[in-house]
Amino acid sequence: MTSIASESPSVRNLSRTKLYIRKVLDNLVWIILVVSLIVFSITIDGYLSTRNFINIIYHSVFIGILAIAETYCVIGGQLDLSIESTTAFSALLAAWLMGASRFTSGMHLNPLYTILIVMAFGCLIGFINSRLVVKLKIEAFLVTLAMYITIRGLALWLTGGKGVSQLPDTFRLLDTIKISTIPLMVFILLLFYGFFQFLLTNTQFGRHLFVVGGNKDAAYKHGIKVDSVLTRLFILSGAIAAFTGLLMAARADGATAGAATWFLFDVLAAIVIGGVSLRGGVGSLVGVLAGVLLLSSIRSALNIVAISPFISDVVRGLLVLFAIILDSVKRMIR
Amino acid sequence: MNIASRREIFRTQGISKAFGSVVALNDVSLVVYENEIVGLVGDNGAGKSTLIKIIAGNHQPDNGELFIDGERVRFTSPVDARDAGIETVYQDLGLCENLDSVANFFIGRELFRKILGFHVLRKAAMENQTIDVINEMGINIPSVREKVEFLSGGQRQAIALAKFVAWKRKLILLDEPTAALGVREARNALDLIHNLGKEKGMATIMVAHNLEQVFSVVDRIVVLRHGEVVGTREKEQTTKDEIVRLITGAGLVNENTDAEGGKQEYMKEIQT
Repeated sequence: MTSIASESPSVRNLSRTKLYIRKVLDNLVWIILVVSLIVFSITIDGYLSTRNFINIIYHSVFIGILAIAETYCVIGGQLDLSIESTTAFSALLAAWLMGASRFTSGMHLNPLYTILIVMAFGCLIGFINSRLVVKLKIEAFLVTLAMYITIRGLALWLTGGKGVSQLPDTFRLLDTIKISTIPLMVFILLLFYGFFQFLLTNTQFGRHLFVVGGNKDAAYKHGIKVDSVLTRLFILSGAIAAFTGLLMAARADGATAGAATWFLFDVLAAIVIGGVSLRGGVGSLVGVLAGVLLLSSIRSALNIVAISPFISDVVRGLLVLFAIILDSVKRMIR
Repeated sequence: MNIASRREIFRTQGISKAFGSVVALNDVSLVVYENEIVGLVGDNGAGKSTLIKIIAGNHQPDNGELFIDGERVRFTSPVDARDAGIETVYQDLGLCENLDSVANFFIGRELFRKILGFHVLRKAAMENQTIDVINEMGINIPSVREKVEFLSGGQRQAIALAKFVAWKRKLILLDEPTAALGVREARNALDLIHNLGKEKGMATIMVAHNLEQVFSVVDRIVVLRHGEVVGTREKEQTTKDEIVRLITGAGLVNENTDAEGGKQEYMKEIQT
């Protein structure tokens, strides 16, 4: 009977303390979130209220949903920088099809058809991204960066900077519906996180994402159809971005070409803070949700205290830096 | 062991491969029988790597054929080789450090059930199967839920090998399996390889540089030099010195005769 005893001290002697520390570090972002909320509640008048907390989540919806898409991409060893532009263009497209005033197609299209068309647009962008990455073998970073610029440019050019407004009430229901005073979008956000976390950790697709992101070579060698996984990944990302655009159009009752500006950075900040490793193969939507909520909580606090709005950016940057350092510390603890 | 009663699992016949003007392999023929561990040795540049890559489906030979269970096979990619029952354990082990042992065990062959169109993973079943195999093979791992990056080199090697045992492969190709291991870990890995070959009834080709290790594990040794088979010896009937001489070509009166002689001996073996 062969016994491969543990040679190096790495596992045998991994003391309870070390395991405990690792557990804490992995969930640090939730601890920071809770601590921040407590601190803000104590120091800021009016922070501690159900209204405010619901508001925080409500204002996390767009970044939050986009963060799901980006998390998936990064775990799979990719990056999708185009989601912000896809979201903006989708919002514009939806508004243009349905809208009643200013830059509108005049079609007053049925919201259901609009949703289908816009979602198809998102999938198309994702598909184009996937072809460039998979077939032409161009780095995802470069492909999606180019798309990011191009789609945004298209939006600006086609609309000439004009916006659209006055969308049908039925469509705006997405934003106006409340279930016992909680906006529908809050539920959508939580449902999305629940569903996509399940997909990530309990399905073959999610598992293959982790394999491809962790060791692409091994993925090929084990017969995983890497190209198919990446194609589905980018299409999903595009679809989620388009869906976010729809939500934005609903909330703003229209859209302008400048919609969703700078969202990309908030998304990246949130996922890094949430524990997703930019090297791929590591991450959980549980942490990302905390990251998203943390950013939103801080912004809310800064708003109430009415400090310069730009401090928000500095804080965000510091948080990202902190998250990156944390990632290195975690690795050093091995 | 009576050669005639051994079942042939794998055979290469007249394999040649050149990269541009560089001849990597020239008319290489070898057989591997059931329950046998064949050591493939040779100096750097002798062609071991190329031969393994051809068997694993990474390269296609310019000439020659491959046979599995006596039937001709052609591989256009590693996936073909894998489907045909050949598994390669590379030096880097092909593991995903970011995943645990269970996940690594089932890469590309995850167990799932279809629910509403989704392939939902059967995690409990996979975990149980992994634990069963690991216990059966006597591998000592604190937890199969631990990410592989926290395991020692020997444990990782064990997982990589265990995968192929469990999946009942026909031929295992081991490319320098102990290269990255310390002395004690290497010993354990070699014991494991030895047991795999004997108990599980597969065929194994092991590429290695360390003759000490080779001699401790294999049944037969095939020596490559300059892309040709210069000799095959049953381990019991040869010595390290002789193998070294075959590898380096030193101390041979007539190099060609020896290679020819080796080949003839070998062809006789095959035809038996």
